[in-house]
Amino acid sequence: MTGGSLRLRLIAGAGVAIALALVVAWFAMTWLFNGHVERRVEDELMIQVRPLLADLQLARGVPVAGSEPADPRFAVPAGGLYWQVSGTAGAIRSVSLWDSHLPRPVAAPADSWRVRRADGPFGQHILLMERTIRLQPQEPAVAVQLGYDLAKLVPAQREFGREMALFLALLWTVLALAAWAQVGLGLRPLRTVGQDVERLRRDASARLGGAYPRELAPLTESIDALADAREADLIRARRRAADLAHGLKTPLAALAVQSARAREGGAVQIADGLDSSIAAMRAAIGGELARTRISLVHEGRSTVALPLIERLVAVIEQTEAGERVAFSLAGSESITLPLASDDAAELMGPLLENAARHARRLVHVAVDTVAGKRVLTVGDDGPGLDSAQRDEAILRGARLDSADEGHGLGLAIARELAEATRGEMTLARSPLGGLEVAVRWPLSD
Amino acid sequence: MRALVVEDDPVVASELIRGMTAAGFVVDLASDGQQAWFNGDVEDYDVAVVDLGLPRLDGLSVVKRWREAGRGFPVLILSARGEWTDKVAGIEAGADDYMAKPWAMEELVARVRGLIRRAAGRSSPTLEVGGLRIDTHRMTATLDGALVKLSPLEYRLLDYLAHHAGRAVPATELSDHLYGDADAENANAIEALIARLRRKLGAETIQTRRGFGYTLAVNAT
Repeated sequence: MTGGSLRLRLIAGAGVAIALALVVAWFAMTWLFNGHVERRVEDELMIQVRPLLADLQLARGVPVAGSEPADPRFAVPAGGLYWQVSGTAGAIRSVSLWDSHLPRPVAAPADSWRVRRADGPFGQHILLMERTIRLQPQEPAVAVQLGYDLAKLVPAQREFGREMALFLALLWTVLALAAWAQVGLGLRPLRTVGQDVERLRRDASARLGGAYPRELAPLTESIDALADAREADLIRARRRAADLAHGLKTPLAALAVQSARAREGGAVQIADGLDSSIAAMRAAIGGELARTRISLVHEGRSTVALPLIERLVAVIEQTEAGERVAFSLAGSESITLPLASDDAAELMGPLLENAARHARRLVHVAVDTVAGKRVLTVGDDGPGLDSAQRDEAILRGARLDSADEGHGLGLAIARELAEATRGEMTLARSPLGGLEVAVRWPLSD
Repeated sequence: MRALVVEDDPVVASELIRGMTAAGFVVDLASDGQQAWFNGDVEDYDVAVVDLGLPRLDGLSVVKRWREAGRGFPVLILSARGEWTDKVAGIEAGADDYMAKPWAMEELVARVRGLIRRAAGRSSPTLEVGGLRIDTHRMTATLDGALVKLSPLEYRLLDYLAHHAGRAVPATELSDHLYGDADAENANAIEALIARLRRKLGAETIQTRRGFGYTLAVNAT
């Protein structure tokens, strides 16, 4: 029943172990209590018998008591307290023994009291104390015996046992609650591991690291080693897919050439079919390459923005669209974007290229921190888009599946890269008059 | 016009040769990197179209070797790898333009012609203002001997200021030169260009004379 839960298993184990320990404690404490009570009885008997012993005499081998113990139980038949003094010619005993007697002592010690249990008068089980005393040096020793009905101790022992059981049950409850709290505390790092493994599932480059209790280190190190292997496999597979996709581009270009020649030769239908297949394959390759890039996006990376923007601008300035516009860059030299350099290039490249294509004179790029977010804006002074056109553009660029090369693929990649790094892309009207694309990332703690 | 096509795929190469020949180019073909490097080093070409994935020596290395050897003809990279990092690497290796496969022949020819037009020579070969040297033949600038990468607009603005060194050139005059009109809306673009030139050449190189315009400092270093 508890096989599925480590917590329940640990709590149940602790509960049983604590219960066993408390049962043993109950037995031990009851035994100690009984021993203590009996020692008190022995002490009491010795006190009670002092007047008797103080005034004891021997007359022709028969003991004579000058005075008797004061406790009334010695004077009531079967009263539970008994004494008996035996001489060589006879014995005297308490009234409580009535016409019965205590068992005859055998070799009782002379220097101390011997305590034993014995069958007493009236079918009682008694605690028997006995020793010999020599009243005068020249006289023979007399045997003194004291008896106590053990049945008189039973109620106190039962009451103690019951109260002790109640106390130990309460103690069990407290200890079980403590064990429950302890198990919860002990298992908490495992819950943290669980959450971190979930993070690792989302981001192949994430690792658990070393912020765990020492005892969990073998587990977390193994998980990290597994994550290393998984990431390496993933990267290898993705690179292979990317290489394959790149490798197909040149043969496809060659195929397109063949198609064009077939068309020139009059085989228009064949060329149409070929072109249609080539377009589909190009779209598939473009999408696969984009997906490969997005799947390899790593969280927690950062890139200093302006130098990379400068390098991208240098590329765009070589193009027909780029050579006729000016680029203005704004932002501090050290400001960063929260993604790796390659990913940042793939995100910003299409945005800059698109802005240059539509700008009249100027493209403005800014990286700033606004309201706790890192914001990249790329604006132009071109004709811009109205609200409906902006919605359509963002939708057209929304899905890699629906985009093909040159038709929203760049925007789709940029958008998916932004989202893969917890960013959000929006389109708005630029203060320059044209379109402004903004990507906002929440700043990490 | 002589062009060098560097491409190892025979079908793609034949199409490039066919398209460029039809556009009036005399085309040589190199089908591996070593041959391309050798051809570019010993022959005078007006332009080269270079694939990156080549046998024996990759395309980026070919372009770098040409540039190191002082071969300045324009280079257009035509590659299956269309990522931005590849484009940046290509331009930083010394290429002048980058196209990803698949390509449209008309666009390729137009861009090749654009490159040749930009690289065309001018009457005055060099202008020197302090440590700044402008090569009007190659349309490049060096500052204290180090090449400064300039966009065509930046180059044209710098070239204009250099031709009028020491004089304050109004923004409207620059706008007229760069865009063919003195539209006030171009002021932001001019300011952006000046800002980028200052970043590349040093803040003191271009001074603003409030109310007059921009001056290329004669003692620029």
